[in-house]
Amino acid sequence: MKEKTNYIGHKVNRLDAIEKVTGEIKYMSDLYFPDMLYGKILRSKYPHALIRRIETSKAKAVEGVHAVITWEDVPGFNGFGIATPDQPVLSKDHIRYIGEAVAAVAAKSEEIAEKACALIEVEYEELPIVDNPIDALKENAPKIHENGNLCLHTEIKRGNIEKGFQESALIVENTYYTGRQEHAFLETEGGVAHIDTDGTLVIQVGSQYPQRDQLQLARCLGINPQKIRVISYPVGGAFGGKDELTIQPILALLTLKTGKPVKMVLSREESIISYWKRHPFIMHYKTGIDKEGKIVAQEVKIYEDKGAYSSLGGPVLNLAVEHACGPYRVENVHIDGYAAFTNNGVCGAFRGFGVPQVTFAMETQMDIISEKLGIDPIRLRKINALQKGDTTPIGNKLTTSVGTLKVLESIEECNLWKRRNELSTQDPKKPWIKRGVGLALTYQGTGLGVGLPDYGGAKLELREDGGFTVKIGTVDYGQGILTAYAQIVAETMRCPIEKVKVTLGDTALTADCGPTSASRGVYTGGKASIIAAEEMIQLMKNVAAPLLQASADFIDYDNGFMFLKGEPLRKVSYKEIANKFIDDGKPLPETEGYFLMPIADIEIKNAFGLPHHIFAFSAHVAYVEVNTLTGETRVLQGAEAVDGGVVINKQGYEGQVEGGFVMGLGYALMEDVIIDRGQFKNVNFSTYIIPTVKDTPFHIESIPVINPEDTGPFKAKGIAETVMVATAPAITNAIYRATGTRLYRIPATPEYVYKRLKEVENEKAHKGH
Amino acid sequence: MKEINYLSASNTEDALSLLSGFGENAKIIAGGTDILVRLKDNVIKEDTLIDISGVRELKGIYEDKDIIHILPLTTHTDIIESPVICKHLPILRDAVKSIGSPQIRNRGTIGGNIANASPAGDSIPALYVLSAYVRVKSREKERMVSINEFYKGPGQTVLDSNEMIVDIVIPHMKEQEIGFFRKVGQRNAISIAIANVAVKLEVSGENRFSNASVAFGALAPTVLRAKLIENALLNEVCDSPEKLLYISKLSEREVSPITDIRGSASYRIEMSTNILYEGLLLMFLKGWKR
Repeated sequence: MKEKTNYIGHKVNRLDAIEKVTGEIKYMSDLYFPDMLYGKILRSKYPHALIRRIETSKAKAVEGVHAVITWEDVPGFNGFGIATPDQPVLSKDHIRYIGEAVAAVAAKSEEIAEKACALIEVEYEELPIVDNPIDALKENAPKIHENGNLCLHTEIKRGNIEKGFQESALIVENTYYTGRQEHAFLETEGGVAHIDTDGTLVIQVGSQYPQRDQLQLARCLGINPQKIRVISYPVGGAFGGKDELTIQPILALLTLKTGKPVKMVLSREESIISYWKRHPFIMHYKTGIDKEGKIVAQEVKIYEDKGAYSSLGGPVLNLAVEHACGPYRVENVHIDGYAAFTNNGVCGAFRGFGVPQVTFAMETQMDIISEKLGIDPIRLRKINALQKGDTTPIGNKLTTSVGTLKVLESIEECNLWKRRNELSTQDPKKPWIKRGVGLALTYQGTGLGVGLPDYGGAKLELREDGGFTVKIGTVDYGQGILTAYAQIVAETMRCPIEKVKVTLGDTALTADCGPTSASRGVYTGGKASIIAAEEMIQLMKNVAAPLLQASADFIDYDNGFMFLKGEPLRKVSYKEIANKFIDDGKPLPETEGYFLMPIADIEIKNAFGLPHHIFAFSAHVAYVEVNTLTGETRVLQGAEAVDGGVVINKQGYEGQVEGGFVMGLGYALMEDVIIDRGQFKNVNFSTYIIPTVKDTPFHIESIPVINPEDTGPFKAKGIAETVMVATAPAITNAIYRATGTRLYRIPATPEYVYKRLKEVENEKAHKGH
Repeated sequence: MKEINYLSASNTEDALSLLSGFGENAKIIAGGTDILVRLKDNVIKEDTLIDISGVRELKGIYEDKDIIHILPLTTHTDIIESPVICKHLPILRDAVKSIGSPQIRNRGTIGGNIANASPAGDSIPALYVLSAYVRVKSREKERMVSINEFYKGPGQTVLDSNEMIVDIVIPHMKEQEIGFFRKVGQRNAISIAIANVAVKLEVSGENRFSNASVAFGALAPTVLRAKLIENALLNEVCDSPEKLLYISKLSEREVSPITDIRGSASYRIEMSTNILYEGLLLMFLKGWKR
């Protein structure tokens, strides 16, 4: 790597900005095919029921209807799910949540399809509902799945927990609750399936991993995966909500059945009811600390509301277990996690993947400890901070870059934190308005962890014009990897970024790079691109050598030219090299880069995916004001110091920090899909509340903490998740600083904050008497 | 979404004759910010829409001596931007500013907000305390209805199926009159009220008032006037925060809210007290001056 970079670490405009801003880009929901049909899914009326009978004849008789399908029309395995394929494509006999797909129609228009759906007769027998994970695990609970309601139990014990608590000077014990957050991507699940001229089934639906969609679809459809092409980019937002399959298998079945292109775009309401959410957690935390503020022991019990089907609920639980103690040294731990099936819709992957939940609990514990022991919040965290060479609470040794102290040192210097005492006051003119500054720390594994295949892949093609096309299976769903990949290729190939084209998310064109998830996109695709580029350089040098009448070893390259070392005027352009391939009758070269993610030193029995090996770290600060008459909270300012290794794109970094902070703000204060007895209560944006621009802080400071990770592409790690994870506890800790009221539940809606303010006031009054 | 007949009226007479022709089967659409959502949700029972958004004569704000006329197709944005409203009806301006988002305020109309009859409609409590009158017209007759008597229940008004709103008539606030609008919602914009309140007071002496109007929204089946509070404000010397809190607590006897997705009944009751108290306290701290 050259010391001075052309692109890495610079502010580079998104290459897809113009086409997105002008609306020129065609998302899958925008596609139209001649003679296209419209699909519609009939979903269960009940959250838990048996299907007695499905009658489709009336629906089939409607003019304009081309197909009505039920479970009987699923030719392959009637199930999908990344970890365990226990969710039916179309339900046969047992309904486990209210949005479950029972039948589907393809018709000439959406209206006809809707009308036909209404004519499908389904006879149900209602079953008793399981509506929370603790009840789900009781002996007499109605069984949602044949084997009961336990989706996964993961337990980790290290050290001696009893002894640890005996040695503690202070024990803090609390129960925490977190909400069911919706991804709220702009583009709902939508797209088109059609059959290509060569008989290939082409599925164009925005998703996070085309190759895995292809395999899951092949299993459902009972056809050779090579006969299925999945195009999963562009995507109008995902945040984890398009990691699992959604409408793809039903769209595929309708297309195979009718032989025609079929389109489906879900309404917001159907999207919210039918697919993934962030798992709500109930967490019991017991933390023992010695006089100096060192955490001696921690016991954690987690109940994850899995919803009706597995999807990624098991891995989410495991990541929560891994991160339950925060980025701290804890020798004596007992973490006991349960993922339990309920009839509360379905939950799955969501930015942070179990870590936002436990971080809310852990960082509230830390704030309570800091106050009780009178130790400054940053100092308390520094005392306990994991450092390189340390053993994590679950037992693996940290050998990669660890930024715990660095992010704490950076955030300590930010303006908000330095001024926290003068900022934490009440409004002089309105004494019922109270202000406070709060802090939280977190970390997040990059990649999938031990025991799961985790690799990066990229193909790189030299084009006739001397430019390059890099082809990677991950997708850009807004996080900016398209631009990051182009920067990495341009930097490695030493050519102008305008010469780099990026092709993403297409099983027919792009290398399998694993899922676009787990903060791994830049790391995996970026590193694979470098490997492919280095091979490309060698191939090009070999062609340039005779042109420059020199050995390949004496050739250097820069700015789109190869030249003789020390004699930059004896040069050939990349375009001339490309033409040489053509003149010689050879195909233009395409190189491939593949590598396996480095993994941790140990494996944890019965906890697949644990531990992780590479981590990003971040410290978040929030400045809030609370109206104690109403419980309304405004976040006035925010700051984040993030260690994501070397920053690839400064602009992308800032965008991630700001976007992550605001998503965390929504999680902290307002977002929760409310399900009552299995029924969804807020299924659109008039009742499911997300932050508007008027709810976002005036300023969010992003402080890059450059902490190079030697294994990463240009020493980068991934920041996409950590940037949102610690925002909620930073906000709730700030509310405490402002009001002296501790919050144990998010979202901290005005009503909940007000209720807690009154409770605390009553407690104080009680003590006073 | 069901299929629906769409008719467009080019003037008031045209609209009224269409309305009398279709009667209960027709619904008027102006800005559409409520109707289109309800149409999508399949909860519109009428099968004909009469679009009056092109009726120019029903749009605008004008003054007639110390009376302000707001024609029903005036958008929320028009109201916010009007210097006349800003000067003479600041309570209405503040209430309208809290409606929806810029997009919704650009489309939505004052007439629509009134006719939609949501118990949580933000402009309505302000119109209550400003003693607004609604002029309604059918092909046969015309009448003036006090906003206080306009509502029968949630979504229900005294409008006959052949009538429509043609004018909103509001007297200027007097120089010695002050007031405020306050809402508590789930967020700072595009937020339906959990509770809202509008207050108008006529200052007659030190901490004393010769007129008091208080109206709550989202706290009963319709917007309501808080008579106990009004009487207390008239008869008491409002010379301390404690007194204001005491008076504000009377709201518990005035409101009858429900529990819904936005808030519980008990929270709403406490908010009725606290947002009233907060607003009164702010005015008290300013010395009861505008």
